[in-house]
Amino acid sequence: MSILVDIQHVSKKYKDAPRAAVNDLSLTINKGTIFGLLGPNGAGKTTFISMLCGLFPTSSGDIFINGHTHQTHSKECKQVIGVVPQEIALYPKLTAWENLMFLGHMYGLSGTSLKEKVKENLMILGLEENMHQKVVSYSGGMKRRVNLIAGLLHNPQLLILDEPTVGVDVQSKQAIIEHLKKLNKENGMTILYTSHHLDEAEDFCTHIAIIDDGKLITQGATKELIAANHCNSIEEVYLKITGVKFRDK
Amino acid sequence: MKLLYSIYKEYKVLTRDRAGLAITFIMPTVLILIITLIQDTTFRSVNEASVPLLMVDRDHDSLSNILEKSLVNSKFFVITKKQLSDEETKKEIATGHFFIGIIVPENTSKRLRQKSSARISKLLSSFSGDSTETQEPIDTNTLNVQLYFDPITKKSFKTTISNSMERIISQIEMQSMVSSLNEKMKESFPLATPSKLELTPLVNLKEEYASYNNSTIIPNSVQHNVPAWTLFAMFFICIPLAGNIIKERDDGSAFRLLTMPGSYMIVILGKMLTYVIVSLIQFALMLCVGVFILPLLGLPELNIGNNLPVLFLVAFSSGLAATGFGLLVGTVATSHDQASLFGAVFVIILAAIGGIWVPTFVMPEVMKNISVISPLNWGLEAFYGIFLRNFGFREIFPEVAKLLAFFIACLGSSYLYQKYKRLK
Repeated sequence: MSILVDIQHVSKKYKDAPRAAVNDLSLTINKGTIFGLLGPNGAGKTTFISMLCGLFPTSSGDIFINGHTHQTHSKECKQVIGVVPQEIALYPKLTAWENLMFLGHMYGLSGTSLKEKVKENLMILGLEENMHQKVVSYSGGMKRRVNLIAGLLHNPQLLILDEPTVGVDVQSKQAIIEHLKKLNKENGMTILYTSHHLDEAEDFCTHIAIIDDGKLITQGATKELIAANHCNSIEEVYLKITGVKFRDK
Repeated sequence: MKLLYSIYKEYKVLTRDRAGLAITFIMPTVLILIITLIQDTTFRSVNEASVPLLMVDRDHDSLSNILEKSLVNSKFFVITKKQLSDEETKKEIATGHFFIGIIVPENTSKRLRQKSSARISKLLSSFSGDSTETQEPIDTNTLNVQLYFDPITKKSFKTTISNSMERIISQIEMQSMVSSLNEKMKESFPLATPSKLELTPLVNLKEEYASYNNSTIIPNSVQHNVPAWTLFAMFFICIPLAGNIIKERDDGSAFRLLTMPGSYMIVILGKMLTYVIVSLIQFALMLCVGVFILPLLGLPELNIGNNLPVLFLVAFSSGLAATGFGLLVGTVATSHDQASLFGAVFVIILAAIGGIWVPTFVMPEVMKNISVISPLNWGLEAFYGIFLRNFGFREIFPEVAKLLAFFIACLGSSYLYQKYKRLK
């Protein structure tokens, strides 16, 4: 399996912060994997994702996406990535159709192919009947599904999902996870997934990395990780490694 | 294509925000209507003051008649004639019912004629050496026309009025002297048929407003308030624009857009162009209010000059400056509340020092000097130039250049702040 994302000794220390948000982190994400990035609050997940997306530079170390870095090939790196933020990053006064058409255009898509792509995704995620309603009138689950489609429009090689199922009902969660699994299986889409739903992560991810205090604690194939730690689930592994102390003080 | 779609998206978002639209278009319309109506009297008093004047005429002769006629012709006074005592007249002025009181004493005209006649006789006798010519008794008492001023009258205004009165009375004196001379000459040369002496002034004081292209428009409340409050509204756009930017940042849209290749700059550009278009629509709408609505309320019609391309240029530059400022507020502010408060307070301060509320020409010298730092003042001065002085591109270029420089400075500051935050 070839490497899609190669993280080499990446650190990030914010000015005036007492310690590094990400500290000498190295990991690889192979093409076609569903990679779960887990960790307690303040572990450095958001900082890591932001650097991966090229929003700000690393303090040290390199991030390679398909062999390119943001410093030299920002456009190429960004073309590879699709992002689904934890927030509902949509315009509430626009309809789902208008939101997706706008974001599609921003990805450089246009014309019939974009319209078909939007229609197809709305249909798969059960939103075709409501696509001309304003997003503000949608339920939480519907908003999440539109939020997901927005990250998929340009067929990214790497889809970054930041808590994609937070606050949604079981049906919506099921629809989202199934659609993502299908995309991974049929299109070979690589998925980087962060969540605090550890049972969902165990079921969904082929590989998992746990980070804490900005450092990589462990990583590996999901089942191997559970076995190597003599546990029965990822939740057990997680608690064994990160402890039970509150982190969001 | 990306840019067009970005503008289209902003258009959709804006048109569905009814409260925002109301603030954007109704607020300046209401402000223009109210403030123009309120300030109309004040502007009229500056331009074409109608000073209430009480005239107590005890003379009922030529001097008081000519004096009254001259005062009426000056169009500077609203004259009320009453028969009052000195004390009553003084009281009327002191209580503020009138700005000025004039008392023309009894027999003033008669005494003036006598005095003129005596002076002319004395003058002529000095030529002939005939001392019998000066037999007329000379009235040595001074003729007084009494003036009373309201105690709140400014010294400069009092001086202006006194000077005007003196000029009118001098003319009457002159006429009286000439008339006496005429009579004396007739007595000396009874057979002569002299032509009438022309009394029209030999030297005229020619007054004109210094303006380009023969324009002689006098500023009024409409000419001030329409551009002033339009600029205020244009700069107030910084609040919805900043709010729009902060909302995108808070809800993750900016995050998503920043992960797209080269899109965020286009989105920002689309946002700015949309808001510049909105500010131009505001401007056009406010001009229509000035031209069509205000005259219906008995106010003067807005004269927009005759240089529409230059007018558009100033409006466009002002729109750019306003959106640039909005972008800066949206970049620096950390929350919508902060942006609203900071944006509103800052625009109000810029408006106050820029001469939006109180025109700079009535400000004290210190404030006049401070006003030049406000972008709203640059825009207002440019509009004054076009509306009142028929300025062309060359004359308004400094103001336009300052507005564009402000826009670039805001853009640059936003970029540097973003960069600083990214590297932090």
